[in-house]
Amino acid sequence: MNVIEIRDLTYTYPGASRPTLDHLNLNVEKGDFLAIIGNNGCGKSTLCKTMNGLIPHFIAGEFQGSVLVDQQDTKTMDVGRIAGKVGYVYQDFENQIVRPTVLDDASYACMNYAMQDYLERGREALRQCGLEGREQEYIWQLSGGQTHLLALAGAVSLEPDVLILDEPIAQLDPKHADLIYGVLKNLNETWGKTIIVIEHHTEYIADYCHHVALLKDGHTEWVLPSDEALRRVEELQECNIFPPQVTIAAHQMKKEGMLAEDTVLPTTIEAGKKVFDRLLYRGEICTEWEAPGEKQKETESVVSFRKVSVSYRAVKGEAKQIFRNLNLEIKKGEKIALIGSNGAGKSTLMKLMTGLIKPSEGEILLKGKGIRDTKPEALSKMISLVYQNPEEMFIKDSIERDIAFAMEARNTENWQERTKALLEQFRLTELKDRDGRLLSGGQMRRASLAIGIALNPEILLLDEPTANLDIATRKEIMRTLNEMKDITETVLIATHDMQLVCEWAERIIVLCQGEVIADGSRNEIFGNRRVLELTGIRPPEIFDMGKVLNPGAFCYTIQEFRQQFGCGCL
Amino acid sequence: MEKMMQKLSDNILDKLSMDFLRNQVLKNAYGNDDTFIAKLDPRVLLVWYLFFALVPWFVDRLPFLLGAFLLVAVTTVMARVAGLVLLLFVVGVFSQTGYLFVVSLLFGGNAETIVPLLILTLKVATVSLASVTVFSGLDPDRLSNGLMWFGCPERLSFSISYAYRMLPMLMEEFQNVLLSYRLRGNAPDSSGFTGKVRYLIYQIRVIIHAFYPLMLNTAKRSRTTVEALEIKGYRNAAVSPEVKKLKLASLKVGYDDMLFVAVSFLWMALTILATTIL
Repeated sequence: MNVIEIRDLTYTYPGASRPTLDHLNLNVEKGDFLAIIGNNGCGKSTLCKTMNGLIPHFIAGEFQGSVLVDQQDTKTMDVGRIAGKVGYVYQDFENQIVRPTVLDDASYACMNYAMQDYLERGREALRQCGLEGREQEYIWQLSGGQTHLLALAGAVSLEPDVLILDEPIAQLDPKHADLIYGVLKNLNETWGKTIIVIEHHTEYIADYCHHVALLKDGHTEWVLPSDEALRRVEELQECNIFPPQVTIAAHQMKKEGMLAEDTVLPTTIEAGKKVFDRLLYRGEICTEWEAPGEKQKETESVVSFRKVSVSYRAVKGEAKQIFRNLNLEIKKGEKIALIGSNGAGKSTLMKLMTGLIKPSEGEILLKGKGIRDTKPEALSKMISLVYQNPEEMFIKDSIERDIAFAMEARNTENWQERTKALLEQFRLTELKDRDGRLLSGGQMRRASLAIGIALNPEILLLDEPTANLDIATRKEIMRTLNEMKDITETVLIATHDMQLVCEWAERIIVLCQGEVIADGSRNEIFGNRRVLELTGIRPPEIFDMGKVLNPGAFCYTIQEFRQQFGCGCL
Repeated sequence: MEKMMQKLSDNILDKLSMDFLRNQVLKNAYGNDDTFIAKLDPRVLLVWYLFFALVPWFVDRLPFLLGAFLLVAVTTVMARVAGLVLLLFVVGVFSQTGYLFVVSLLFGGNAETIVPLLILTLKVATVSLASVTVFSGLDPDRLSNGLMWFGCPERLSFSISYAYRMLPMLMEEFQNVLLSYRLRGNAPDSSGFTGKVRYLIYQIRVIIHAFYPLMLNTAKRSRTTVEALEIKGYRNAAVSPEVKKLKLASLKVGYDDMLFVAVSFLWMALTILATTIL
């Protein structure tokens, strides 16, 4: 039975010249776990908003065709009735939470629809979403993943048959991402909910989803079982979607003749084991491959932390200690990745270096000079911080003026020319008059990077430069970061993105509860089981694949995998 | 001496940071939800407040005012009000009447000039502390439920609790935008008196400028919130009497409330007795 039927739907946003959804047809079966994939701007979010009735009831526009939820036309139902059948969790889910405590928020919708047992329903929803025992907590006490679960619980409380989630794990570290998908799986299997996710992470699609629908230019290209869908490597890559790394690796090897013509492409590590089993490992023989971290480095220290302690004020009770007696040296020219779970102190470490936070004890030296008595303004010529949230870097009404701002304020020589050059370098010239906030995710990121290096700092700090981006945009930012390697001497990136870490970083620092628990090259970090278990960080899928095939293998990219396993068959 | 001044001004600047303000707002709203005052029925507290907000204005007898002041001072302590609010209270009262009191003393004022001023100060202080107890000791949700019971429109009570939900977020955003200005701007040299003045003017200008990005960022965020409220049936709730009943069902007058009213009543009766005797 179809729980959602969309027939010949065409929808145009008010004021738009072209329809966002164009003669779209889609059937979703009851009990399905469906992933919707597609290019940026192909209408995924719009489609989901037609399913929960926000379109056409709340957002006007031109609406043709019909959307049937549980055999009823959404046009004839009100938003409240539809909400009881279709729950929705936004991509920016924290803005979806309107009440201060957990139970309050989970039961808020039920109360608004005058259900007598609203508290009971809220509790039940929290239980189903794995938040039992946190009913009385305040929402700012929750971690990012828990906040997402709460947003989900708010939707579940109305007991809808269908749950729609817009990019549920875009902002989360792998541990929390697993948690979310575990909950969704349980809702799907135990409680019989139909789950629809908009998802870019194909590894998760392979592990959890039953079907995949590809949207292209506002219509459904196809709906296929997940395995089959993910094997269409070339078609997906055309749409800027990247299949799991094991699938891509097998696809490339098949094309090169290393795998048999009739090989069925694997989509998970489990399936990969069978396919790659016959390949010979020759990792050690490969001499052309060398870890970038082993290059000779200059030894001049640019930042040093000496016994630094920091604590935060808490709303209740004692101040929370972030760092205690932290010691750390950062050398000139290093490309460092700072990793660790949410709340490990990554952002605090960066703010300490820029002088925005003063340590309660100990001192921080910048090129051998203490910065305790220096104003952050004076440091900004030497060190620059790019925030996680690019919106907070836009303080003028066009990105051109934003990039120029710092140089103009300091009367830097030739600042007009330099602004022009930066716009050119980051491919922003055509967008220079637009307000930064109105750009797409990737453009915003590029603009914030341009702002960050405007003053030509010797040290650049980037807080999660690839968070919240779809994979295509992420690749683009990664390319930009690689291009920047020659411009800025010392760069430190705080990130959850292990592909970025593996492809870019030369030194990795692992923070866990305010302590540096590991510091070294990628082999030292990812080869260390204890560190991985302690922090919940996870290497890229291809690395795990290599390890399964041969415990001595260290391959971080698809290319390295092919080099190390690709020489021939047994 | 120089060093001490430096430390003191650092300390004050630290207190004025956005982070500190945000923390105080949260502390004020939710940090004291386990006190005796916070657990009282909001309706009882509102009636109690009505008495202490109105009656002092019409009474001029010192013992009565002193008694009322002592009582609200005790409740303020019991409500564990955040430091910033108390500081604002002290500054507020002093700027209203306290300075007159000091000035009259300096210019050879005697008891006759002081007593009327003292009375005025006590009145203002009593009313302020009563407000602080109720509006700061209760968490915003209970307060808004109480107001709703007395017939305030649902929209007002929702606004109160939503404002408290949004305020910390807004302040964090504001703090980050300000930091952007600080890091990328070029603050004037702050040495010397003119430098200090110029620095202050610069700071104020930055704060004004920071409002533009703050508003736009907030507008962008609130789009999701508005849609989410629609889905969660907020519009439905605003007009449905059934929902109102459901919300107010959680209000209950208990033993503690009786005790609180009884003690307050007894104490005020004693002060009235004292007033008539003296």
